[in-house]
Amino acid sequence: MSQFKRTLVRVLVIQVVTLVLLWFLQARYTT
Amino acid sequence: MHWINWLIVVVYLLVVIVDGLRRTRGTKNIEGYFLASRRLPWWAVGLSVMATQLSAITLIGTTGQGATDGLRFVQFYFGLPVAMVLLGVTLVPFLHGAKVYTAYEYLERRFDAKTRSLTSLLFLLSRGMSAGTIIAAPSVVLSAIFGWDITWCVLLIGVPTIIYTVLGGVEAVAWADVKQMVVIVAALFALVAVLMWRLPVPVDDAFRLAGATGRLRVFDFSFSLTETYTFWSGILGGTFLMLSYFGTDQSQVQRYLAARSVDEARSSLLMSAYWKIPLQALILIIGVLVFLFYTFAPAPMLYNPRHDALLREKQPAAYAALESRHAAALAGRDQAAREAATVKGSGPLLAFKAQNDALDAVRKDALAAAAEASGESSRDVNYIIPRFVLDNLPLGFAGVFLAAVLAAAMSSIAAELNSLATASVVDFYQRWYRKEDTDAHFLTVGRIATAVWGCFAMVVATYAATLGSLIEVVNRFGSFFYGSILGVFMLAMVKRASALGAFVGLLSGMGAVAAVSFGLPQVSFLWHNVIGAVVVFAVGMLLSLPKRAAA
Repeated sequence: MSQFKRTLVRVLVIQVVTLVLLWFLQARYTT
Repeated sequence: MHWINWLIVVVYLLVVIVDGLRRTRGTKNIEGYFLASRRLPWWAVGLSVMATQLSAITLIGTTGQGATDGLRFVQFYFGLPVAMVLLGVTLVPFLHGAKVYTAYEYLERRFDAKTRSLTSLLFLLSRGMSAGTIIAAPSVVLSAIFGWDITWCVLLIGVPTIIYTVLGGVEAVAWADVKQMVVIVAALFALVAVLMWRLPVPVDDAFRLAGATGRLRVFDFSFSLTETYTFWSGILGGTFLMLSYFGTDQSQVQRYLAARSVDEARSSLLMSAYWKIPLQALILIIGVLVFLFYTFAPAPMLYNPRHDALLREKQPAAYAALESRHAAALAGRDQAAREAATVKGSGPLLAFKAQNDALDAVRKDALAAAAEASGESSRDVNYIIPRFVLDNLPLGFAGVFLAAVLAAAMSSIAAELNSLATASVVDFYQRWYRKEDTDAHFLTVGRIATAVWGCFAMVVATYAATLGSLIEVVNRFGSFFYGSILGVFMLAMVKRASALGAFVGLLSGMGAVAAVSFGLPQVSFLWHNVIGAVVVFAVGMLLSLPKRAAA
């Protein structure tokens, strides 16, 4: 896998983790 | 403010200026001055891109927005990682490989001189004015908070920035950005730590209160063309906006043109893709934490001290009545908050929300009265964080925060000035007036152009209050062609696209955005870039068809 593709995968992982954390905040605390 | 806080600010300003002077050694020719001789490492370019985009108003306005409106603004940035990846595989190799100084220079190679000149002129018009507003926004806040004349605040931000930008060129700007980004992130984490520490209830309980007011609602999946912040406008509209901004705005393009190679330019953009959404979420969470802090502490009725004083002076009876209503609502909310934080269940949370709504209603009346007394829009949201920082942070922290606000302002302005000078010299002076001369000559012209744009920005900033409606018109005008210029660059990557198609397409795209801005149907501004880019591309391709048929 090329350097660019590896970086791309890492970018996607960070975005998914951030969005899941934000989703968790919303789901846990928003009534 | 305590003298130790001022000392921190002075040390920060001195470090930035001295470092800028040190960087003048690398700027002996025009390529060194405008592109750092294309030798900047990817991480410095990446931090510079992020610092340029993070202005002072992001630090004070977006945190304030988090306090009043919650986290939903983060959806605005959902398209950014997508845009960065798309740019990395499309436009960046084109522009970096073409060895150009400006993005618009590439358009002449691909199409013709008039398309280049028009796009560059549009950039100069909009960015020239926006450089003024970037100085004006924090200056107005500093002026109200410290009671200084606005001119001094403009000079405090503008003069050091002009000095290191004029002398050091893009290299000084980029390395100053790196330091400024460190100061900004340090200040943000310090704020989070202090806010967590100062909360009188556990964070989990406090977040339940914020959740009850809707401030922790991030995602809105409704599909509305008039609602600005939704998941879909962020993903689709946001992607086009970020593609336009990072792909065609010289203040961003110039950063990655200074990278050592195409790969390093791509990596620098991906750095923003990594960190923009987490950073923006952190900034908004700070706002939510400030809301929670003031839930348990006496919150001011008006955060803007100037408007508070004006209202008290001009309408004393109305002010006293509002103050009394505010005190009663504040006490009611405080009691409801403490009960909801200790007693679990939806009943106390609903009671807290009702008390919070009652307090919001009093604030709304106070803001309307302040706007009437001062004759200007209150923009109280921009004063929430500065007031919190100055009134509540431990010794030294306020100095770090003020240095971070100056850093955020200076990094954005420096990039604007540097790119404005580059476009003026390369796209106009060198293209139309003096094609051939020595490097020393163009270097001097570049420095003069930077200084002139800096002075222009300071003048606009000083008169920003009186130029209010004019600046709004210019900003609105700017939104007409952002997506349209992206459409021209999209055409540039299609082999069959013709110069005529690009030029007429550009005018058509701007016309289409003007139509949806002023006429019907009304659509939110995030969709303007999508409309502009699509119309330019469609018209451009249609007009290019005859050429293909003839061939």
